[in-house]
Amino acid sequence: MNALSIGQTRAGNVCIVTLTGRIDSTSASDVMAELTRLISSGEKSILVDLGAVLYLTSAAFRALLVATNEAERRAAKLALCNLAGHVRELFEMGGLLDVFAIHNSRDEALKQLAGPHA
Amino acid sequence: MPHAVDVRIRNDVSDIVILRDTLDHLAREFGIPQRALTQLQVALDEVASNVIKYSWDDGGPHEFLVRIIVQPDRVDLELFDDGREFDPVTALPPTQPAAGQRPRPGGLGIHLIKQLVDRFAYERIDGRNHTTLSKTCEVGTAVQRSEE
Repeated sequence: MNALSIGQTRAGNVCIVTLTGRIDSTSASDVMAELTRLISSGEKSILVDLGAVLYLTSAAFRALLVATNEAERRAAKLALCNLAGHVRELFEMGGLLDVFAIHNSRDEALKQLAGPHA
Repeated sequence: MPHAVDVRIRNDVSDIVILRDTLDHLAREFGIPQRALTQLQVALDEVASNVIKYSWDDGGPHEFLVRIIVQPDRVDLELFDDGREFDPVTALPPTQPAAGQRPRPGGLGIHLIKQLVDRFAYERIDGRNHTTLSKTCEVGTAVQRSEE
């Protein structure tokens, strides 16, 4: 019930990954696998939309950290958007709000990720 | 009230789904407020996955018991495992990264648990780890959305 689903769309050169449901120790590896697959395939701008996430655990934070480090290593950008309610609170508790590139909305994130050369 | 449910799971991370569904079911049945439920789900995932990852290092199959107790003013999660002695309550917090550095992945689970619940206790009893988490909340007042 409310298991994780991973959707994908594109806006220009930005690949948008929409996560829906719960990201916990049973599903975080799917998130890590999908994000590292996208980075390996050459995506340079990835936006992870967390607006429909019910909650996430440290396994999810680990997946996002690993993917962010991997993106950096490959000169790609990975950003998060739409952290609301419980999800934002969990980022705060983990002291992780400053660790990721976080945007309030998808539009704001897309402007930033598209960059001046888009 | 109180109402206790015992769930026995394997040291296999996929079994955490059983705990998650049991807690969801109890939340609907007894009216655990949504915010408390979310925090309990995260804490339960953290503490159970910790047992699965660290209690046994022989690679073999093991089982452990999780007891969920719904009280009028709180929810208790009790875990009993016969793995190696480990006190998560006094475990060191994750080391702070140097300025400008990202934290190392992992190590956050126990730090989160301490902020999510009101009581986090550990005892070694008769060669078993006994870990208890309690979340204070007003049970029975929440109107639960019916899902699925």
